[in-house]
Amino acid sequence: MMPDRKMFWLIIRRIFASNRARLLVILLALGAGAAVTAALLNLQVDAKRRLTTEFRAFGPNVVLVPKNSLSTASATLPESAARSVPSHLPAGEVRESSALYLVADVSVPSSGKATSAVITGSNPFGFVTTFPRSPNYTEANHSAENVCVLGVRVAHQLNAQRDAELTLSASSRRESCHVGSFKETGGPEDDRVEISLGAAQRLADLPGRISAIELRVPGTPGAIQGYVADLQRRIPEADVRPIRQFTEGEAKIYDRISGILSATVGLVLVLTALCVMAAMTNVAMERRNDVGLMKAIGGATRRVLRLFLAEAALLGLTGGVLGAAIGILLSMWLGKAVFGIAARPRLIVYPVTVALTIIVAIAGAYPLRRLANIRPASVFRGEA
Amino acid sequence: MFLRLVADSFSRRPRHKLLTGAALALGMAVATAAISVSLDVGDRLAREFRSLGANLVVTAQADSLPLEIGGVDYRPVNAGAYLPESDLGKLKTIFWRNNIVGFAPALEVPVEAWTKSSQTTSTPAVAARTTLMGTWVNHSVSIPDGNAYVTGIEKTNPWWQVDGRWFKDGAEECVVGKSFAARSGAKIGSALNVSAAGVNSSLVVTGILSGGGAEDDTIVAPLMMAQKIAGKAGEYRRLYVSALTKPEDDFGRRDPRTLAPADYDRWYCTPYISSIALQISQVLPGADVRVIRRVADGEGAVLTRVRTLLWLVTFASLLAAALAVGASSAASVIERRTEIGLMKALGAGSGTVGFLLAAEQLLLALLGGGLGYSLGILLARLVGQKVFGAAPQFSFLVLSVIIGLAAVVTLLGSAIPLRRASRYEPAPILRGE
Repeated sequence: MMPDRKMFWLIIRRIFASNRARLLVILLALGAGAAVTAALLNLQVDAKRRLTTEFRAFGPNVVLVPKNSLSTASATLPESAARSVPSHLPAGEVRESSALYLVADVSVPSSGKATSAVITGSNPFGFVTTFPRSPNYTEANHSAENVCVLGVRVAHQLNAQRDAELTLSASSRRESCHVGSFKETGGPEDDRVEISLGAAQRLADLPGRISAIELRVPGTPGAIQGYVADLQRRIPEADVRPIRQFTEGEAKIYDRISGILSATVGLVLVLTALCVMAAMTNVAMERRNDVGLMKAIGGATRRVLRLFLAEAALLGLTGGVLGAAIGILLSMWLGKAVFGIAARPRLIVYPVTVALTIIVAIAGAYPLRRLANIRPASVFRGEA
Repeated sequence: MFLRLVADSFSRRPRHKLLTGAALALGMAVATAAISVSLDVGDRLAREFRSLGANLVVTAQADSLPLEIGGVDYRPVNAGAYLPESDLGKLKTIFWRNNIVGFAPALEVPVEAWTKSSQTTSTPAVAARTTLMGTWVNHSVSIPDGNAYVTGIEKTNPWWQVDGRWFKDGAEECVVGKSFAARSGAKIGSALNVSAAGVNSSLVVTGILSGGGAEDDTIVAPLMMAQKIAGKAGEYRRLYVSALTKPEDDFGRRDPRTLAPADYDRWYCTPYISSIALQISQVLPGADVRVIRRVADGEGAVLTRVRTLLWLVTFASLLAAALAVGASSAASVIERRTEIGLMKALGAGSGTVGFLLAAEQLLLALLGGGLGYSLGILLARLVGQKVFGAAPQFSFLVLSVIIGLAAVVTLLGSAIPLRRASRYEPAPILRGE
């Protein structure tokens, strides 16, 4: 048995060494297939996860309000309720902000202009998404206590400039602040003045109370639903409401996008495998002469076949190992190009891709089985 | 003679040609499917994103600030400015009129509302204070060009669900938010009395609305009813517009006032949200059109990412298909060393041999590419049908790209072995060395 095995490997080595061009061609086909497979498999999982994070560009998707807040708009929650919001999820951090709303008179002492407006006291300050892309957005120094952010329509009404002093008054209480920046969102924020939560609580005379908590919950639509149910159990005194406009819209869009991604990736993988297989079969078919010769000098059909299948498997292994490595690097680059963060390489992808490549290579060589009933003589006569 | 040689090569070794052709067809099918899906996905997804509702809001420039907390506006009815309803048909006359998928005006009136049952049951007969919002549902607007366009709140706020049915346009009917229904005892079919500033009217509840926001505590009625109750005939306060847009890029975010005339035309003729907003403000005098950044920017961010992602996937699969096809055609040339040697021994020049083989490969590319295209289109249709319920549009561009790609890839794949083949000395090959 021993010399037999030695002979086997000797022949395999010779096969590889004999035709470099051919070897390169096969490795190219297998490697390309493996690279795309690895890249797409790695990217697919990562892209779906990233998308759910990306959806948070829509801003808060869950809001906590006091029970029955609708019938009595003055109902409030204790500020401590925000502390019972679990902030770690497998999909990422939950970001939260507390807000207190009140109606107050806003005036600019220097020009004497005044109007009534809704004041939002928020903590952390400046959270209710400021859209950096909006052309009218200017970065403010949010650290100072008496800075406020003016909605564009309020600013228009008061004709207030940046750094102008504002006086806010509700009943007999007063607060003053200076305009740090403007905000244009197209939403209710445009009509409001945002100040720090502490200042709003003093103005409303409601220390330690808030009107709402806004949350940005990352994760798939299903996970968000579970989170909402869990939160409702933890904070029974509040009404936990998903913002349906976004949760439902996102769920629909997420389904579509992940559907199109899976379908495209699946399609590309299957076709790539078939394509590589066809190329491999083409290469394998030209071995008829070699098979004929081996049989003529006494090689048993099984041994000859084993030889060629081993060759295919080895090629698959090499092509797979090289291709998958390139593919994972490719997917990291793709992730960086699309989402700005390199896709996390998943180790499971590597062996799966290599195994798939070997299977494709062997399946491509399998038609050689039909060469078993080749008559050596007819091959040598040059008959097709 | 040339054609005979080509025909002979195809008929003599059908299986080899078939396999090379199959690899080619499959590779091109990958490319076709990926390109078709990528080309189509932007428009389809943009349409999907409209399930987030309106992305533009229009208010009167002279309007006062709403004092709205939790869906209740603390502003008196007479404060502020209104816009005329009769102008709304002009929205469908702007340059990007076909991109406007829906719009709905809204007029909110603070009202007191009560049902018969809330007066007779054990609960005290309280008139609940709430907001009545007048709007359109399935409303037919006449457009200045003579046609009519049907639109309404169900297009701009598609996440609103109504148990029962929506009210009929102009009828004395309404739907009530589910929280309001719970606290006022209003049910489908019951009569709701509404009063504001001394005007009393009675509306029949036709449905219970659930939207998950402040609307759950309001009454939604036909715009005409709200105008009657508020005494503001033919006027509205706010308009929601849902428009298909192209995500804003750096060019789209530039201030149109600073653009050169040629750039301005390009900006104006691109469906950026800001250019649609400008076009709307041109047809609605006195209106202030604002972009709902939360919807528009979020959509832009996600759409841009998904588009880039799919293009990169397409590119990667194109690369793989090209390599596999190239390898396959290289293999088919390599195996024909003997034949090439024989032809050269019989006096053919390197150029002639190369030309013959290239012609064969091109013919194969044409056949395989065509076959792969049809296969790919079929698969793309399948994907489109399954995911979006609509097949992608046929595009002549894709066909020409695919055939061109097939030709380039096969020629490139066979170029290297062909170059080597042209340097073969016939004698050693024929001797079998």
